[in-house]
Amino acid sequence: MPVRKFRSVAELNQPIWRQPGDPALYRTMAALWDTGRRLQTRRFAPGVYRFRDIAALESAADDRPPHQG
Amino acid sequence: MTTGLGTAPGRAYTATVDFDALKQVLAAFEREGVRYAIFGAAALNLHGLARFTEDLDVFLEPTADNIERLRTALSSVFDDPSIADITAADLLGDYPAVQYVPPSGTFHLDVLTRLGEAFAFSDLEVVRAPFDDLTVSVVSPRTLYLMKRDTVRLKDKADAALLKERFHIEEP
Repeated sequence: MPVRKFRSVAELNQPIWRQPGDPALYRTMAALWDTGRRLQTRRFAPGVYRFRDIAALESAADDRPPHQG
Repeated sequence: MTTGLGTAPGRAYTATVDFDALKQVLAAFEREGVRYAIFGAAALNLHGLARFTEDLDVFLEPTADNIERLRTALSSVFDDPSIADITAADLLGDYPAVQYVPPSGTFHLDVLTRLGEAFAFSDLEVVRAPFDDLTVSVVSPRTLYLMKRDTVRLKDKADAALLKERFHIEEP
């Protein structure tokens, strides 16, 4: 990876947008998701869960304890 | 026939959900003619900002036929009898939000048929977007912005700000 230099932290943290269809976007997605999967140990209990609204769904996903499956 | 991500004997489930797994799910949606629109973080990825996500958010056209197509598509990817528990009675009735966690337990598929009073499927601006060698249905940047703008989660507000700047979105 080449060295990239920045004049400030703010400049360093700018999001990198790519064009849909650019192979680099999908390579980055695949690498990022793979890294995330390796780093996180959380597992969800398999199955189907139903909710009355998206707020309840999001709350359940955030609060659900780790599943040792 | 079940392919790819099923319960192969002796196979561990620690590394199943990744880029390729989501592609398999979306390829199955396309093959089975599911009427859907991706939203949430996966949509942000498809519009050009790579971001880790542990779920696939899908808005579904609320018809019994379409929900049947969803079940067929999922069953072609996951060898999982619990898929039968995704029902039209729930999604068209009192439970418009259903979460499916495949046997791997490493991600979840969030299926919505309506989003409060704010959004129904017919309200969405949907575009066809490339996803590697697939073409999939995803809400437009503007619709994604509107969906994220008024939520309470800080990360959604931050995403909304990024979308607004990137796509020069004007307030309605």
